Amino acid sequence: MTGATTPAGGAIIRTEGLVHVYGGETRALDGVDLSIARGERVAIVGQNGSGKSTLVRHFNGLLRPTEGRVFVDGADAAGRRVADLAATVGLAFQDPDRQIFAGKVRTEVAFGPRNLGRAGAALDEAIDAALIATGLDKDALTNPYDLGYSRRKLLALASILAMGTPVVVLDEPTTGQDARGLERIRQIVADLSAAGRTVIAVSHDMRFVAEAFERVVVMRDGRIVLDGAPADVFAEAAWPTLASTFLEPPLPARIGARLGLGSTPTDEALLAALGGSGSASP
Amino acid sequence: MLELRGVSYRYAGYATTVLHEVDLRLDDGQIVGLVGPNEAGKSTLCLVASGLAPASIGGSLTGTLTLDGTPAQGLSTHQLAERVVVGFQNPNTQRSGIAATVFEEIALGPMNLGLAVAETVARTREAIARLKLEHLVLRDPQRLSGGQAQLVGIASLLAMRPRHVILDEPTAQLDPAGTRLVGEALRALAETGTSLLIAEHKTDLLDGLCSRIVAIDGGRIALDGPTAEVFDDPRLAALGVEPPARARLGRLLASHGIAAAVLAGAVVDSAR
Amino acid sequence: MIGGYLGPLAIIGFAILPAAVIAGVAGRLVRISLLLTLPIAISVVLVSVFTRAGSHILFSLGPFDATAEGVDFAGQTLVRLFAISTSIGLFGLTTEPRSFVLDLERRGLSPRFAFVALATLEAVPAMVERAGVIASAQRARGLDTEGSVRARLRGILPLVGPVILSSLTEVEERSLALEVRAFGRPGRRHLLFRIPDSRTQLVVRAALLLALVVAVVTRVTGTFPSLP
Repeated sequence: MTGATTPAGGAIIRTEGLVHVYGGETRALDGVDLSIARGERVAIVGQNGSGKSTLVRHFNGLLRPTEGRVFVDGADAAGRRVADLAATVGLAFQDPDRQIFAGKVRTEVAFGPRNLGRAGAALDEAIDAALIATGLDKDALTNPYDLGYSRRKLLALASILAMGTPVVVLDEPTTGQDARGLERIRQIVADLSAAGRTVIAVSHDMRFVAEAFERVVVMRDGRIVLDGAPADVFAEAAWPTLASTFLEPPLPARIGARLGLGSTPTDEALLAALGGSGSASP
Repeated sequence: MLELRGVSYRYAGYATTVLHEVDLRLDDGQIVGLVGPNEAGKSTLCLVASGLAPASIGGSLTGTLTLDGTPAQGLSTHQLAERVVVGFQNPNTQRSGIAATVFEEIALGPMNLGLAVAETVARTREAIARLKLEHLVLRDPQRLSGGQAQLVGIASLLAMRPRHVILDEPTAQLDPAGTRLVGEALRALAETGTSLLIAEHKTDLLDGLCSRIVAIDGGRIALDGPTAEVFDDPRLAALGVEPPARARLGRLLASHGIAAAVLAGAVVDSAR
Repeated sequence: MIGGYLGPLAIIGFAILPAAVIAGVAGRLVRISLLLTLPIAISVVLVSVFTRAGSHILFSLGPFDATAEGVDFAGQTLVRLFAISTSIGLFGLTTEPRSFVLDLERRGLSPRFAFVALATLEAVPAMVERAGVIASAQRARGLDTEGSVRARLRGILPLVGPVILSSLTEVEERSLALEVRAFGRPGRRHLLFRIPDSRTQLVVRAALLLALVVAVVTRVTGTFPSLP
């Protein structure tokens, strides 16, 4: 089940036959055609080594195609510098300790937007909003290394949010987060989407993916093997393909299938299906 | 058996006590899961249970840590290393930085214990087999992905054949297949009599692996009991811990009159 | 005159260069040695040529006289410098540092020293790797690494800061992780690797040691040609 309906024009990120080979031998991406529309919430899933992280690093120019092309906001990314593409695509890295350099949380968050030319009141507003969204507003003057690791991850996220980019890419945003942190991340994704921004997340958390995203792209060996809404990607018909990538559908999907209720990738969907059917025969 | 009795701990140079009157017991062959919100003291508890706090990092500890009947107080760090190991979640810090290959990296622990070459090699091979790392043995440890590095880090600890293994978020960097692999390896390890304490956010993993769950909040033990009991406890959510999907959906289905058997069936469907 | 040149040139010509050619590092060796000795060579030449006391004046530069004796002295010092730098260079280019350190440990060097030596060797490549990751993260936040000099200067702290900060903050956890793996345990370790040592190498080493003793003795007792 490949190929979601591609929007007619206006794709904010598009790849054509994207191939990426590392060090002359490892074929991390083996011909990826992907089109992401403005404002979409897309989750990219797959095992480590499936090419997920390699793919998203082409969106802001950190990696360049070995073959094929990448279009960001309509224009070819080739020849555009990373610092320039950063105005369109903000990428939040997994390891916060590989970017923190400031002595205060606020200064750290200011770095990104400053580089993009924000100043004065607009800058302060952007920083404040990002700090509130990540729950760091009370720690604006704290030294980042006085925060625990998971809050430093939120700091790294805040520093990207403050850049106000139309596209936000999150690399494994939920690892190491507790229930409260998870809830914050979910809320951030929802708010970004409500503001019309495009959210792309690379994640291993199937529940997070099923609940917070409207489109799931499954990768294996550098290719896309499934692409569609969670209800389609986690439906029983897709399970063999999922199994081939060693991924499992979330539990509600499995229960729904067992109860013959159709595709229920989330708690909500399962609930709705149960409410609708009235009675269920085990 | 590893036992903490009435343990309170304060880091050196800090005024606040981070652990309060903690009692924890790990029997041989038992796998205990440790859950709690971030900054509740999980990592500190792992450090204290390994004896490294205070033996290596100082700080003040009241109460006792006993390892197989021997009090840990007064043991040097390498004497502790012979009995208990602790793994941290950052794979970068777990790497020694001096091994040329993954094999060498995993062999460092047993080698440091002064074992004969044959024994070192045997233990290294065993650890590699447990975590299915055969395809990585000749790789440069600096050039591994985060997930691979985390697996190598765990293998490096297991190669020491400790009686007690403490792991702080061992699957943080792993994909679902890697997480399952670690779960299976740890289950097999427990069968040899090793006791394990695993701090994790992935309650689904702990659900299938642990016989007991301990929940910590604000430096105190809030819950301690059999897995099913703790994970079905409604107080868990208030603690900021996400219950496993099974427990969450079990409640959902029960409220709709669906038998638990259906849920169990769906969970079994996907069991390997 | 030839006396002072003979020794060093003989060593370079009969021992070092042939060995370098056999090992396949002759080209690199000459390049590196020249590079290393160049700064010292320049100052030696300038100082010796003009300040060495002598009677044969070749030319004058202001108050300084260049003497033939000075040139001779400079020449002999240069060949000695070159002999030293090529022999050190040959050692560096043909010895695998890891093997060297591990073999030292096998012969009795404390494991702690061995660890420090090896960790130091690895420290730079590890930092370079880390710096690369950090640069990617900061570029993704709009840091300009290709623009004006001013822009690049502004980029120093965000690029260098995390390298140092993360290295420092990781130190405690790293040393804990090392202690968990029994580093620093007193006593010898049984190393996995043994560097192969043949009879020939043993004989050559013994011969070299003997040559060293002879050289020192003859130098000290004055039977070796020395500098004027």
